[in-house]
Amino acid sequence: MSVNVSDAARDDAASRVVLTGFGVFSSIGVGADEFAEGLRAGRSGAKPITLFDTEGFAHANGCEITGAEPERWIRNLPVEALGRATQFSVAAARMAVEAAGADLEVLRAQRGMISIGTTDGESYDLDHLVGTEVASGPAAMDPTVARRVSPNRLSIAAAQELGLSNVEAVTIATACSAGNYAIGQGFDAIRSGEVDYALCGGADAMCRKTFTGFYRLGTIAPDVCRPFDVDRKGILTGEGAGVLMLESLASARARGARVYAEVLGYGMNCDAYHQVAPNQDSVARCMEIALENAGVKAEEVDLISAHGTGTKANDVTESRAIHDVFGDAPPRTVSLKSMLGHTMGAASALAAIACALSIHHGFIPPTINHRETDPECEIDCVPNQSVEADLRVVQNNGLAFGGNNAIVVLGKYLDGAR
Amino acid sequence: MTLSASAPATATRPVITAWSAVSPFGIGKDEFVAGVLAGKDASSALDSEEWAGPDDHACVVPGFALREVLGKKGTRSMDRVTGLAVTAVRDLLRDSGDRRTASDEETALVLGTTTGSAQSMMDFTRASLVGERPFYVDPSLMPNAVMNCAAGQCAIWHSLKGPNTTIAGGRVAGLSALSYAGGLLNSGRARTVLYGAAEEFSNARAWLDHHRRGEDSTGALLGEGCAMFMLESADPTGSDGRALAEVLAVESRVYFGDDLREALAACVEGVLRRGGVDSGDVWAVSASGPAGSAGEQEREALAGRFGAEALDRAPSMAPIGDTAAASAAFQIGSLLSVAEQSAAPGGGVALVSSVDDNGVVACAALRLPVS
Repeated sequence: MSVNVSDAARDDAASRVVLTGFGVFSSIGVGADEFAEGLRAGRSGAKPITLFDTEGFAHANGCEITGAEPERWIRNLPVEALGRATQFSVAAARMAVEAAGADLEVLRAQRGMISIGTTDGESYDLDHLVGTEVASGPAAMDPTVARRVSPNRLSIAAAQELGLSNVEAVTIATACSAGNYAIGQGFDAIRSGEVDYALCGGADAMCRKTFTGFYRLGTIAPDVCRPFDVDRKGILTGEGAGVLMLESLASARARGARVYAEVLGYGMNCDAYHQVAPNQDSVARCMEIALENAGVKAEEVDLISAHGTGTKANDVTESRAIHDVFGDAPPRTVSLKSMLGHTMGAASALAAIACALSIHHGFIPPTINHRETDPECEIDCVPNQSVEADLRVVQNNGLAFGGNNAIVVLGKYLDGAR
Repeated sequence: MTLSASAPATATRPVITAWSAVSPFGIGKDEFVAGVLAGKDASSALDSEEWAGPDDHACVVPGFALREVLGKKGTRSMDRVTGLAVTAVRDLLRDSGDRRTASDEETALVLGTTTGSAQSMMDFTRASLVGERPFYVDPSLMPNAVMNCAAGQCAIWHSLKGPNTTIAGGRVAGLSALSYAGGLLNSGRARTVLYGAAEEFSNARAWLDHHRRGEDSTGALLGEGCAMFMLESADPTGSDGRALAEVLAVESRVYFGDDLREALAACVEGVLRRGGVDSGDVWAVSASGPAGSAGEQEREALAGRFGAEALDRAPSMAPIGDTAAASAAFQIGSLLSVAEQSAAPGGGVALVSSVDDNGVVACAALRLPVS
């Protein structure tokens, strides 16, 4: 796979893409600082689900966000016109701009992109509309709710809240790797000069539909999510949003912005194999595409943030694919879903933020709830305790239903050449 | 080498080299071309045995019983929007024959949608709510309740292993998909991109639309279908003559409240500038024409800039109803239909305008081939 942008251009500060601010809503912390603390401490977001009625399910833990008040970051739009996922997305976008120290007046004069990934869009609202329909018939559906269910609002409303008109607002619906897709889209758009900045990430709200589906498939863990553990029983559904501010290194330097990490490249492919089962060869191939695009060798990768759902099938397939690419001694491989649950479209965006924070602060977040590593997985998942580490290159895996793989590679920002 | 965001793009412009359509005019591109050029009304009375929505008429794809169209193998759990997309991609690959030189790994798929299948999503929740136990749902239907189902199934059916992207773009989805597809070519992530957009008619969609519609758009007919296009980098020598249209520029913008007209005007100027198009070269302008005030504002903005004649040269999309996510893709198809009939002057530029009342406008400039 060739890349048209020449090597000479890669060294140009205008075509290097850096991360300068994050908006975070997660079950272990709101905002980058609290999130970093939670990651370092190995905090768990697991708790009984309260967002929807779980009567009749034998177990119903999830990583719900409680007390986060996204409306505190929403100043211009009527909150009742926004679904739960859109509220997370909009609030995280504002938080990312503020954390990056970017001046909205300057952004308004530039061309930008807002790309938000999602699995379920406003399925939380759709669940409620179905509830109304079952109780009172379809004519009784609430028009206010019906008006907010289109998932394109996840990106459009963020632009409207921030008063950004000269932006391409895109909602990417490639399920559970959508956050990485969004980051990749922003990366390409900045490198090509198509846009000056990009707010990229993912957002999802927990919903009955998806919980029930995973429950029926036998892939909801009864208590907590234990990725790579011999006794792992599956995922916990989660929710939240992660939005990253992407800009060129030249732009970040010009305004004296703090650089958390550099986006070195990314890769995408499709298994074209099965709707829900991952394919080892294809996942391995996606890692190779990502590393090649990033211009790094496998042995240069210091850490992998795995898709790591904690299901039997994912963790063994993903570990084997990692061995295919990295050989017998792969880099340490952690699963943030042990702490955050599976936040669906937000998952790879929150994981990318976690990777950048790990690089910036010099630590590796742990895989919590871990007792005994599955011999079929054969990776060092950094069980239960974070460790200090100087990280130069980190790979963030995102795999999804539909065989939609997307992997982002981040690097430590070093002044001058990498 | 880096361009400022406001400069015209100098990278190779992509070209459309083949297309397909599954539309209210029928299953097939030829049916679409004939129907759209004739301006034939594609609406029909809905069979109340089959449909239980609020509307008694709609523009559905005639004869689209997907197990008859695609066969019984692998279609037992397939939903309608997936069937429409798999069919359109099948026809696209069949009609482009051996012209695709890109391998399966080098071929990407980009599909625009509103929300996948609202029917599949809502049915799944309903099964949980009304079943004897809340988890008595059919697990084989779960992938349908996720928005990337159609794109993933297109990849499985047609062995497309390059990037596979679903864009939930609402009415502008066809142009968002085109913009994204161009980015994949420009960044070297694919050599050939199959892009387009799909929308299904369903009871769930009809009810959602019924409740979200304003008073200014009551009575609008819903439509459905899928149009797919093959996008490739232009042969640098320009000698192959395969191009059905050259994509000069695509842009979208967000509007707030009632400033649709200003945002669309700015978007159009951006496309003209990026595409290096003189407004005098704009021969036809296709408006998305949603019912209600959004459509009126769109038409006023475009007619004010290019004249009503330019709008009238593009076929009306009214005969196929509001095809939502598929609308902009069908607009592109309608302009290619005109070009196919040699009605366009050689080298003329056609604009596609699209508006979504959630607050986004988009525009693309296409250069039609020298006939």
